[in-house]
Order: sequence, then structure tokens, then C-alpha cells
Amino acid sequence: MPESQKSKGLSRRDFLKTSAVASASVAVAALGAPALINSQTLQDPVIYGFIGAGRQGNFHLKKLSVNRMGRCAVICDIYPPNLEQGVKTIGSNPDKELQDYRRVLDRKDIEAVFIVTPYHLHVPMVLDALSAGKHVFVEKVMMKEEDQIPKVFEAAQAHPNQVLQVGLQRRYSAIYNVATQMVHNGALGKVQFIRAQWHRNGSWKNPIKDQAFDRILNWRLYREYSGGLMAELGSHQVDVADWAYQSEPISVMGVGGLDYWKDDRDIYDNVSVIFEYPEGRKFVFTSICNNASLDFSETIMGDEGTLEITLGLNTAKATFYPEQKAPDAPTNVVKTANVQEQNWWAGATMKNRGRKIGVPILPNTPRKNPSFIEKEIMYAKKWLTEMGVLEVEKDRDAIAVEEEHFFHCIREGKKPIANVDIGAADSRSVIYANRAMDMKQKVFWPGKAEIPASSSEPKKV
Amino acid sequence: MRLPSCLPIKRLLLLFFLRVLLISAFIGGVLQSASVSSKKPVSTAGQQVSSKDWKERTDPGQKELFRFDDSRVSMACTYTVVVYGTDRIQLPLIVNTAFEEIDRIDQLMSNYNPDSPLSQINREADKHTVVVEPELFDFIQLCLKYSRESDGAFDITVGPLMKSWGFYRGEGRIPWFFELWNVMRKVGYQRLILDSHDRTIQFSVSGMELDLGGIAKGYAVDRVISLLKEYGIQTGFVSAGGSTVYGLGAPPNRDGWEIRIRDPLAPNDAGRNGGTVHLKNRCLSIAGNYEKFFKVRGIKYSHIMDPHTGYPVQDMLSVAVLTDSGVDGDAVDDVLYVLGVEKSKAYLEKHPGIEAFFYLPNGDKQWKMVNLKD
Repeated sequence: MPESQKSKGLSRRDFLKTSAVASASVAVAALGAPALINSQTLQDPVIYGFIGAGRQGNFHLKKLSVNRMGRCAVICDIYPPNLEQGVKTIGSNPDKELQDYRRVLDRKDIEAVFIVTPYHLHVPMVLDALSAGKHVFVEKVMMKEEDQIPKVFEAAQAHPNQVLQVGLQRRYSAIYNVATQMVHNGALGKVQFIRAQWHRNGSWKNPIKDQAFDRILNWRLYREYSGGLMAELGSHQVDVADWAYQSEPISVMGVGGLDYWKDDRDIYDNVSVIFEYPEGRKFVFTSICNNASLDFSETIMGDEGTLEITLGLNTAKATFYPEQKAPDAPTNVVKTANVQEQNWWAGATMKNRGRKIGVPILPNTPRKNPSFIEKEIMYAKKWLTEMGVLEVEKDRDAIAVEEEHFFHCIREGKKPIANVDIGAADSRSVIYANRAMDMKQKVFWPGKAEIPASSSEPKKV
Repeated sequence: MRLPSCLPIKRLLLLFFLRVLLISAFIGGVLQSASVSSKKPVSTAGQQVSSKDWKERTDPGQKELFRFDDSRVSMACTYTVVVYGTDRIQLPLIVNTAFEEIDRIDQLMSNYNPDSPLSQINREADKHTVVVEPELFDFIQLCLKYSRESDGAFDITVGPLMKSWGFYRGEGRIPWFFELWNVMRKVGYQRLILDSHDRTIQFSVSGMELDLGGIAKGYAVDRVISLLKEYGIQTGFVSAGGSTVYGLGAPPNRDGWEIRIRDPLAPNDAGRNGGTVHLKNRCLSIAGNYEKFFKVRGIKYSHIMDPHTGYPVQDMLSVAVLTDSGVDGDAVDDVLYVLGVEKSKAYLEKHPGIEAFFYLPNGDKQWKMVNLKD
């Protein structure tokens, strides 16, 4: 096909290659969304307590209010308006606990707890909940201090029959599963670089009703309780990088500053961090608070294609941009010389490469080996979606899925997808990135610091 | 290759030209932004707030009072929120929280957004029962209460009817008789099956649809007002596209928020109005045939349907009602619009605390106003 035609769109074969890779996504089947919907009719709902009914807490409670796999017995929050709002959101008239979360843990009828509290409270509450015999769902980021990591591992090992799940909801999105499978199966070629940004334009501050609760309601702005932008936003995206690279980073360096919102906060509002993974792969994360034009997304870049993914309020979206190889890209194939030499043109030309037409990645990937007709239908649907005739099929809300999955694991005795290993790896990235910014130094993962080899002279040919 | 260098005079001319261009662009920008900032904040669809209200006034004897206003588009209309308060740092944060609340309600109740819980009901409730989150369920129950009390004059199931009259796609058409007959089978609040114990909803007829568009704005206004009160705001104003406005307290040195009602025959003419009302802890809600309509052979068909006949209501230009809440206002203005003046009298007797203004056609070019108070 002539180069000019190729650049206008994907060839059908390219398309099938992409979609076949996408359909190889076994992980989506492992999530078992349809099976989970069936088990919504569970006769034996999980009785749970809910600790922390702030903004994120109410987001969870809203989804939980239509989830019949669990039943909320008590909501706990020390701030009365939040507690009232939480009770209203869940709608099932649970008990209220205003004093101490340990009273929730003391209750014998409660099997599981959701911990959706400020960051600094996660580990103490997780440890208490595990030793009280409860299954635990804890919001990300799991650990705030490095020395908490072994403690949580110990507790998890001491209570092997209790589910410990961390709220990294991208792991439960069908589209993110398809996207990472595409990376692992080489649909993007060799991936050396991932970029993610979480850009906002706003103070990140909540108005306050009661001065006594100022710091608590705006806990995200103070280091005493918060890990700042890296923890609250970046943790989701560094987890995607870990997932795509199938590895933890080996080092991180970064620059952070409090440059725009100069109020009484002490976290950074301007963060740029570079993570290094094995084999020279990099992940760059930026987060700012005074421009929202780029919003938030993760962009995975390989030498054969780019994948841009984002998780919106309710649904995920992924777009694949095939890379156009430069005509002068290095090739190892030496062609036979029996072709007639073509006519050459003189005069400089500019050619746009890459990022031509995006192909939406669809969440429904029915079978590992789709039949001819299925492939044709998939191709037709993608083509119509690309033309704007058909609406992009949507992923199910990842927060609702992670909650279902939590209940599912409890009842079926399964291990969660976002488990303590994933939660700890994510926490380490956050802790080390913040350390790198604070100390203005490169931070290595334990045992990964290498003394650079002595600079050897380039070999002469 | 190097470009041939310009002669000094040519270069000077070029620089001068560029500078003129830059300066004129800058002046243009300044003029443009000045024209924006000097614009009176006008609510788009229903009323216009007198410019006096929008000036900042402070009472010298007391703690300094600040004023903040902002507008944002949500639910397909422009919301404006004005607040007065003594904490200048908190005011923008509070207004921002108000807009977040409006967006949240849009997420919950929009039937344009395929991900909203309302769209989920519309998609699935004819196949099986759908578990609905408490807030939306309670709200649907409240809507049904208005339907029962008005004997179906207000109905959230008119969606299919609106569709067949072409109002969703913005191209009006008169449906065929049998088409209408078929559509009417899918309309009627009695056809909804609600289970308040399990919080589920189901359609008894396939093809039904819920449309909260007529009343969700009022709910958003009420939510914002209660949010403002929670943050200690005593004086504020909320406008949902101008068709539902609420005045909380009264602006400094005023008796209330002065609102001019749009002339139903010349809604865009700032020189004419249908009367002025003062709002103090009251809501003004307007249903007008000028909001969405089409004309066939000189007859105007507006978007307000009579759920009993399946036809747009005729012989009414607009109805404005004063109520204590936005939801009440948005429901009652539709009810009265459909019922007409005579039947409305009986309705208002049963529902005290409501004042209504009916704008009726009086010949082609004029209107007459009927004011009903309980």
C-alpha cells in the first residue's frame, strides 16, 4: 500500500492484530464481571462497617447503595455532617458511630470494613481491623511510612483467610485490563516510556462549616496527614506503570514545589517525578494545580503505537494510536537487488509521523479465539466507532466493580486482584518519590542502587 | 540556505508593521474582556436581574461584607450563584462546592449522559427491576406525589411523547394519529412500579422513559440553597438558566432580590417585561411556550405536553409561580400550565403558599395576566 494511503487509517490487518490482542485479555474474564452481576442476588450479603464518610467515602457509599452483595450495618465518622450525609447516601438506615472506629471493630456481627479515611490513618486501622478478624478494604495509598510496610505484610500473613484489598480501582476496569494486555502482548511494540499527568486548576481546598475541623476536612493539604499530589493522584498512575512494565521501579528522582497556592498548606502544588524501571524504561508523572487543560490520563508509548487511557468519573476510555515507522528507521533486512531502482525526488519535505488516527479500545472482549464472524463484527464496530457513527462502548464503573469483587472474594474465599503486594509496591513508589523531592536526591529501591560502571571509552571502529 | 537579508528600511517597516499588529491585537483583547466584564449578569432563559442587585453594597457599621458570583454551564443551562459573606476566602470555595453539587445532580439525573443512574433505569427497567440509589429513588417518589396530586398534569413519563414530537432532536414534527396512540400507551406515571422496601423500580410497559428535565433544575437549586445555608451563607441567589431562581435573604439595603419576569411575547427584549417580583427566601419558577417550540401553519407547538391528550398545551404563553422551594416551583408551574386558569384555582386552594401569574394570549400581539393567590 502506498505510504500516503497507509497514513490515512489503519489497514484491516493492523486492526485485526490489535483487536485479536485485545481479545486475548484473559484478565478481564478473570474479573468475571458477568458472574459478579449474577451473584448480586446473593442470599447471604456481607455485613460491613464503613469508616470515613467524606467525599470519597460518599462516592463509595453511593455505589454500595445499589449493591445487594453487602449490607452496611454501621457508618463511622468523627465529623457529624459527613456521618449524616453517609447515612443518607447509603439509605439503608445503618447505625452511626461518631466516637471511635474500634467500636465498629468490636462488633461481632460485622464481617468486613471499608477504610476510607485520611491517609495517615490507613495502616493503624488496617492492623486493628485485621486483628479484630475483619476483612478489609482500604483506600489507596495503603502505607504512609516505609516501616509500616513489613508490619502490614506480617499482619496479612497472620490472617491469611481475611481479604485485604486496596482501592486501586484501575485494576478493576475492563478497559485498563485490555490496555495492559495489549502492552504485554506487544501491540505497542517495545515500550520504553510512559507519561502520566494529573493536572487541575483549583486550590484543592474544601470550604469549611466548622473552624474546629479545618485541618481535618482539608487534610490533603497537610503533610501530617497527607502525601500530597503524589499520594492522592500519582499513586493511581504509578500503579498503571508498574502494571504495564510488570515491575516495580528501581529508582526515582523528582522536583516538587509549593509555587502557586501559597496559603497555609505544606504539601507541594507543582510536582514532576521520573521513575526508572529495569531495562531503562521510564515513567514520568507531573501534577499541577493551576492548569487543567491536559486533565488526567496515562500515555503508554511503544515503537509501534501509543495508548492513551483515562478513568473518568464513571467509565474508562482508551485510544490506540498506531505509530508510523519513519522511512529511514533502522532495519536489519537487506533487500535483494533485483528490484528496479525507483526515481528519486529532490527537495525537502515535512511529514507528520505518528498520532494520526486514534482507535477506541472497546471493553467487550468475548473470547480468546474469536470466530471469523466475531472478528468481522468487532472490526465493523470499531470502524463505525472510529467514524463516529456508533457510540463507544463503555466500561463498567471500576469502583462498583472493585466493591463487588471485594464481597465476591469474601464469600468465595478468593484473593483480591489489588492485593497487599500491589498496595505495598504502590506505597513504596509514593514514599520514595516524596522523599526524592524533599531531599532533592535520587532515591533507589532497596538493593537496587548500583554504583555506575566506570565510564568506559567508546570503542573505536 | 540563508534568506536574502532585508534592507534596513525594509526591516524597520516590517518591525513597525508587526508592532502595529501586536498592539491592535492587544487592544482588541482588552476591549473584548472589558465588554465581557461590563456585561450585566443576565440569566439566559427566564428573567433578568436588575443591575442594582449586582452592585456590591456594604454596611459601614458592621463587619465588612463581601460579594462573590460565578456562572457555570451544567444540565444544558447556565447556573449562576451569588453569595454574600464576611469571609472573603471562603466565598469562592463555597460557590465552587455549589457547582460541584449541581454537576453531581446532573450525573445522577441526566438522561443525556448514558452513564447516569437515570439512563440505567431507562435502559433496563422494562426488562427487570432496577435497584435505585436512595436519593434518586426518593426524588422519583416525590415526582409521583406531584403526579397524583395533579391527577397526572405533571408527569415524568412524557419522554416518549417528547421524542415523537421531535423535541429531543430539536426538529419539531406533528406525529401521526396511530403513532401518537401507540406512544400514549407508554406514557403515564401509573405504569411505574416502585418498591420502596427494596428500593426498586420497574416499567410495566416496554419503551417507557423517565425524564426529570423539567424538575431536576429545581432540585439542584434547592440543594445549592441548603448547601449555602450549611456554610452559614444568609444572603445568596441561585439561577438555573433563568427558569428557576431562588433568592436567599435579601441583598444589603434591599427588601429582596428584584426579578423581572420576561415578556412571553418578546422574551429577548430587555425593554419589555411581564412584571417584577421580589424574592426573599422564595423561589420563582417559569414555564413558557417560548423556551422550545415549533410552528406549523401558524400554530405554535411548545414543549409542554398535556399528558392526557398527548398534545402540546395551547392557549397559554407562560406561567410563573412563587413557591418556597425549587422542586415545588418546577412541578407546580408545569401543573398550572397544563391545567389552565380555571382548574388551577382548585389546585391552589389545596396547596396554600403558592402565588401564580398566568400569561394568556390576548389577540396575536398582546397578552393578559391573571394573578392567583391562595
